[in-house]
Amino acid sequence: MRVLASAALAAEFVCGTVTGVRADTLKVAVIENLSGAGSTTNREFALATRYWAEQVKARGGIKGGPIEYIEYDSQGSTATAAEKFRSAVADGAHIIIQGGSSGIAGQLTEDVRKHNLRNAAQPVLYINPGSEALELTGEKCHFYFFRFATNADMRVKGLVTAMKEGRDLGTKVFSINQNYSWGKDMQGAIDSYASLGGYTVVDRVLHDTNKIQDFGPYVARIKASGADTVITGNWASDLVLLMKEVATSGLKVKFGTMFLDLPGSLENAGQAALGYYTVESSNKEVGGDAMLALYADYKQRLGHDPSSSETRTIFALQTLEAALNTLDLSKKVDVAAIATALEKARVASPAGEISVRAEDHQAIVPVIISKVSLDAKYKREGLTIGFKPVRVIAGREAVNPVQSSCRMERPS
Amino acid sequence: MDFVAVSLLNGISYGLLLFMVSAGLTLIFGMMGVLNFAHGSFYMLGAYFGYSLARYANFWLALAVAPLAVALIGAFIERFMLRRAHQHGHAHELLLTFGLLFVFEELVKLFYGFYPVEYRMPATLTFAAFTVSGIDYPFFRLFIAVVAVAMFVAIFLLLRFTRAGLIVRAAVHRPQMVGALGHNVPLVFLAVFALGAGMAGLAGTVAGAFYPTSPTMAQELGMIIFVVVVVGGLGSIEGALAASLLIGIFSSFAVGLDWTLADLGTPLGLDRWLSGLGGLLTVRLSTMASAVPFVLMLIVLLIRPAGLMGEKA
Repeated sequence: MRVLASAALAAEFVCGTVTGVRADTLKVAVIENLSGAGSTTNREFALATRYWAEQVKARGGIKGGPIEYIEYDSQGSTATAAEKFRSAVADGAHIIIQGGSSGIAGQLTEDVRKHNLRNAAQPVLYINPGSEALELTGEKCHFYFFRFATNADMRVKGLVTAMKEGRDLGTKVFSINQNYSWGKDMQGAIDSYASLGGYTVVDRVLHDTNKIQDFGPYVARIKASGADTVITGNWASDLVLLMKEVATSGLKVKFGTMFLDLPGSLENAGQAALGYYTVESSNKEVGGDAMLALYADYKQRLGHDPSSSETRTIFALQTLEAALNTLDLSKKVDVAAIATALEKARVASPAGEISVRAEDHQAIVPVIISKVSLDAKYKREGLTIGFKPVRVIAGREAVNPVQSSCRMERPS
Repeated sequence: MDFVAVSLLNGISYGLLLFMVSAGLTLIFGMMGVLNFAHGSFYMLGAYFGYSLARYANFWLALAVAPLAVALIGAFIERFMLRRAHQHGHAHELLLTFGLLFVFEELVKLFYGFYPVEYRMPATLTFAAFTVSGIDYPFFRLFIAVVAVAMFVAIFLLLRFTRAGLIVRAAVHRPQMVGALGHNVPLVFLAVFALGAGMAGLAGTVAGAFYPTSPTMAQELGMIIFVVVVVGGLGSIEGALAASLLIGIFSSFAVGLDWTLADLGTPLGLDRWLSGLGGLLTVRLSTMASAVPFVLMLIVLLIRPAGLMGEKA
């Protein structure tokens, strides 16, 4: 495999030289949880990045220059992620992509920051299309980190607004979240939008992430609290199990979720999820023909419809591509120039305009709130239900204010 | 009060599920001295076989056939892999089962994909057994519990009152002696391993329909069943039952309890000062719910290293 890869590289190198374009390959490395707990949902960031990289290759690279896609498995552990980051740097990666756990993102962004301090001449750029912890664009923000995902504040604000408008928001909210940076942000956001939504938070739970097999005890606690609405940032098995348990216990609550559209979640919940809300940055119904074309092409190549994690990753990378196209990379790949160009990049994605806020490198992306419904235009593959968008909030309106904890030092 | 009742019931049914999986593990360890890392994989295979059979035939057929299929795989592994590794010592056997864990996970991903599959309970079993203060108690939980209890009784009777059980118990203690008396000890090992695998397979077939069936389920449950076996005492079926129930109930209750270390200071009026200090003192027990089994294991290992009902120290 290694031999093949180097042969391919050599071929690209030779061709590159012959046609007189850049010889320096732009290396894009995905460091993602491909085999640990929760890898089923984390894997999508790698799938979507590979999809984009293959398209770029098919178009003949960026401005005719070659691009290489490399994949590393973090196994869902911060220690392994740090180790893989060192391998990626040793392999000459220019851009790191990771969008899974915020915990791992917190580790990687620190690794990138330190690496760039020590190797100011060869910095590495870190693009994150999925980790939503506020600290990533707060106290941990730095010039080479870009977040193309939303965050807990943006999501909860949108969710609460839409649920209230749809008269689906009760007055007693139960907050159940995973016990790490993302879940804590969610809990904070659910508390802080209480007056906007006109509810009180009757109880709060933080629990272990994707390790719990039995949610029975949590449902008992929801019942005991007397809540009429549950808001959760849980994802993967934590969401599926929670919903299944609520359904089998016959508990009547309204549900506001953040990641119901990830594969396997709606499938497992089935009809029980009717009326549940989810918040995302894209929906097949929003974006017209361009979105449908993307869905069709993605399905043809990968065999499944893209989830919103996948579309979000593709849009993020299209923004990167727009930035790369404004640069002259003919001599060498200048990562600092890429980062500067990315701050100014603007892409009209099917879901709405995407740009980056220079102050903290939080991307300004639209927020779409959908409701699980029988009359959604596009049903989930193999199901009779789908996500019907109830409200689309443009990025400018949805984005949260810059956090005062972000002190970004720009390279001179 | 209602919370107590529901938590107790949940804890018992989850504990019994843990028992179904860990019974085979402890039996295999007691007999062969092999800590089978791939034991969780048998649970996973049971769930996936059950899913396939339930899809093309029905759940009841799956319940009968899937555990048998898993037992056959177990027998194959014992006969053609473990027996070969056995002569090189326990470390090799351990490494072999460790490798199998990953092989099975990848195989499952290959055939069924990365995502949880839609393995649902049959409609005839999807109803509320009874209602405790507005929460329906699903019948399927009772069903899991009944299957587990039936399995325990069957195993207990088999080991205690049959000739085969006598030989198995003897072979645990003195394999050479049993061999010298003319019994086929390798065959006994094979049967025990297949039985253990089959029990885990049965647990998977039953529980996979209730909990999600996904490629990571082997690793997710794998860790906790080790804790059960250690707490219960390696090799003891009764110990495994006690430890499973203990861990099931403890983790069920831990979820509802917001105790912190700072609360310990309440009688002395120090609780406010302690919570002011923050850090570890203000960590709520509910957020640590899944660490409870491990703390329990630590305590048991310190106080009674042989486990609750273990024989050998």
